[in-house]
Amino acid sequence: MSLPFKLPQQLPDFTLPAPLAKLGDRLPQLPPTLALVTGLNLGLGRLIPREPLEPLIGKRFLIRVTDAGMSMRFAYGARGFRPVFDSAPPDLTISARARDFIALLAREEDPDTLFFNRRLLMQGDTDLGLLVKNTLDGVDLPRFDPSRLTLSELLHRLRARLATSPGAV
Amino acid sequence: MASSFELVCPAGGLPALKTAVDHGADCVYTGFRDETNARNFTGLNFDDKSLKEGIAYAHQRGVKVLIALNTFPQSGNWPQWTAAVDKAAAFGVDAIILADAGLMEYAHRTHPQLRLHLSVQGSATNYEAINFYRERFNIQRAVLPRVLSMAQVEHVVKNTPVEIEVFGFGGLCVMVEGRCALSGYATGMSPNSYGACSPGKVVRYEETPTGMETRLNGILVDRFAKDERAGYPTLCKGRFEVDDATYYAIEEPASLNTLELLPDLLRIGIRAIKIEGRQRSPAYVGQVTKVWRAAMDAVKRDPDHFTIHPVWMTELNKISEGQSATLGAYNRPWK
Amino acid sequence: MKLTLGPLLFYWTRQQVMDFYAAMAEQPLDVVYLGEAVCSRRHEMRLDDWLEVATVLADAGKQVAFSTLPLIESESDLKWVRRLMDAARDDPRLIIEANEMGAIRQLAERGQPFVAGHTLNIYNSYTLQLLAEAGATRWVFPPEIGRSALAGLQKEKPAIETEVFAHGRLPLAYSARCFTARRYRLQKDSCEFRCLDFPEGLLLKTREGMPFLTLNGIQTMSARVYHLERELPGLAANVELIRLSPQPAQMDELIAAYRGLLDGVAAPMPAGDYCNGFWYEKPGLDWVTA
Repeated sequence: MSLPFKLPQQLPDFTLPAPLAKLGDRLPQLPPTLALVTGLNLGLGRLIPREPLEPLIGKRFLIRVTDAGMSMRFAYGARGFRPVFDSAPPDLTISARARDFIALLAREEDPDTLFFNRRLLMQGDTDLGLLVKNTLDGVDLPRFDPSRLTLSELLHRLRARLATSPGAV
Repeated sequence: MASSFELVCPAGGLPALKTAVDHGADCVYTGFRDETNARNFTGLNFDDKSLKEGIAYAHQRGVKVLIALNTFPQSGNWPQWTAAVDKAAAFGVDAIILADAGLMEYAHRTHPQLRLHLSVQGSATNYEAINFYRERFNIQRAVLPRVLSMAQVEHVVKNTPVEIEVFGFGGLCVMVEGRCALSGYATGMSPNSYGACSPGKVVRYEETPTGMETRLNGILVDRFAKDERAGYPTLCKGRFEVDDATYYAIEEPASLNTLELLPDLLRIGIRAIKIEGRQRSPAYVGQVTKVWRAAMDAVKRDPDHFTIHPVWMTELNKISEGQSATLGAYNRPWK
Repeated sequence: MKLTLGPLLFYWTRQQVMDFYAAMAEQPLDVVYLGEAVCSRRHEMRLDDWLEVATVLADAGKQVAFSTLPLIESESDLKWVRRLMDAARDDPRLIIEANEMGAIRQLAERGQPFVAGHTLNIYNSYTLQLLAEAGATRWVFPPEIGRSALAGLQKEKPAIETEVFAHGRLPLAYSARCFTARRYRLQKDSCEFRCLDFPEGLLLKTREGMPFLTLNGIQTMSARVYHLERELPGLAANVELIRLSPQPAQMDELIAAYRGLLDGVAAPMPAGDYCNGFWYEKPGLDWVTA
């Protein structure tokens, strides 16, 4: 299930078609949430340092990909990120379109720019958002390649990881 | 002199520093991860390891690293600031940027070889003040608050041996820096002592039926209609009521862009242009540095025929706060 | 402990100013600060007018200080400050309150003693020591920091008097722009001196109607009035002077109330929308009662 096209060097501005948001809304939200927390956990302690994230312990997050109708609820604990299944109010909600989330991950867009343009909304505990943003901005990594951010890639890495450290997630 | 017309770029972390270096900065300015600098935002700034790595990366490529220690220590926490000065000196930074006179005296006495810059937080708007710091602490450079007109800046340059650095682009303080207690009045945390204006822990954004509301410690700063461009949650950029009018009572959420003034700034002898934005991401740093490098190279090559590339403006407007870019105080439409 | 009257921060007509200080000469004040301490465009009072007021006050037994502009933008601003310095040098009953480092450089050069104003950001004893060496004989504690900062400063204080801003709208920020002119869509250089219409500044409210700030030309102040009444007994042991900031009404009652607190004679304190948060290292607009 890799992307059927190669992403260009700079992301064009796009919005997923409206019916997709309605459809996405009705789909189970667990698989994308699992993929996200798995990806985050893979980075923890390696790319993403644990120590600055300590204030996030016990906090609940909601990421809303508005044009995909996707709502990913997860929490951070001493053992890493995990999906949450109830609808208790999150401490921090971040909403944007799929295109803008990808551009942020690729460091092509500056979150403040998206905020000024009303394309990124952060609700709840703003300081948690700043912490996440600044911690990710501080990660010194080779240029991110969004074409590697695919479900099959993540599942593959998850399987490899589970094989070596049972119960790690 | 043209060769020392430096581009000074912000870095809130190692990736931003590398991005600035890679895109043509002459100097990168940084801060430690605490209240010793005026961008003390959660998760931002450098720990010892990343600063050392950043200095090595910059120095290998002939780029200078400056560190801002530009808040005002109190008697109780004084050792934290002097330790930061000592550490900066030990790490081999090219200059430290200070605001507090007492701390400047300490740095000058303890590290006489260390280059000192007077921070914009030092609120020095005239040559007498700048010369005071020169005579007492041998400062090499002063960063001017964003309140002077071009003629006034030129007058300062002519009357001091200290190199003058001005802000060229980015967020715009309309208040004299170092003399603004608005954030402290509303939140208890101010740039002078806490190191941040409107820190995240007291900021709340809320979607309401009438628009997105921005609150600072519960105080309504602004309410944005759908698709209206938003600004930072700082009090000076909010909409308030005065004598029955509701408007941006202090300043619109606009940012500074002085690209068109570059030939004048070079002519009057400005030695460095500062880009604001240590709180911004590496993406911002890369975009701004690229444009300003190109523009500064162009003006140095041929100051008489400098023209602004439309693409530069498009790029810069895209990442600016608020609806518009302004020339700030350099040109005074409000005067 | 001495009672001082800070510089007039609002813009009043020449007659209002003259009348105000004529009344103040009769009041139990120890020190009075004069001069324009906000905007260099305010010229109702000429230097001669200020000198006349200074003479009346000095003859009434008050020490008189001339405050300098906290924001210097041009050579003419510097010239004004130099004229004040010359006047103070020629009259031993006058002293300068310096409100930015440029004035201090010149005062130190002239060997002229001075008061270090609250806009100088004296946050620690090292900075204070340095200013004392430059000639400061008194300093004013910056109102945006609180009691623990003052305690720290007092511990290692050089031989210098300490003054605390105890009552008045808080001066919070200065700009090159004029927010009073902005409200009436006027350019700063043709502001029609609209500040004259607002003897206590212009109230700024949030869109929810909460009184928040006061616009006073290029200065932004608090809407609430800083008020250290309850803290006065503690202050008396540690500081030499407390400052009241001029206001257009009830100044006599206010002076009587503070004077009464200092002398142990009860006098009613005028009611007001007060704050004291800065003193307790809380948001400045808070009112701490505990």
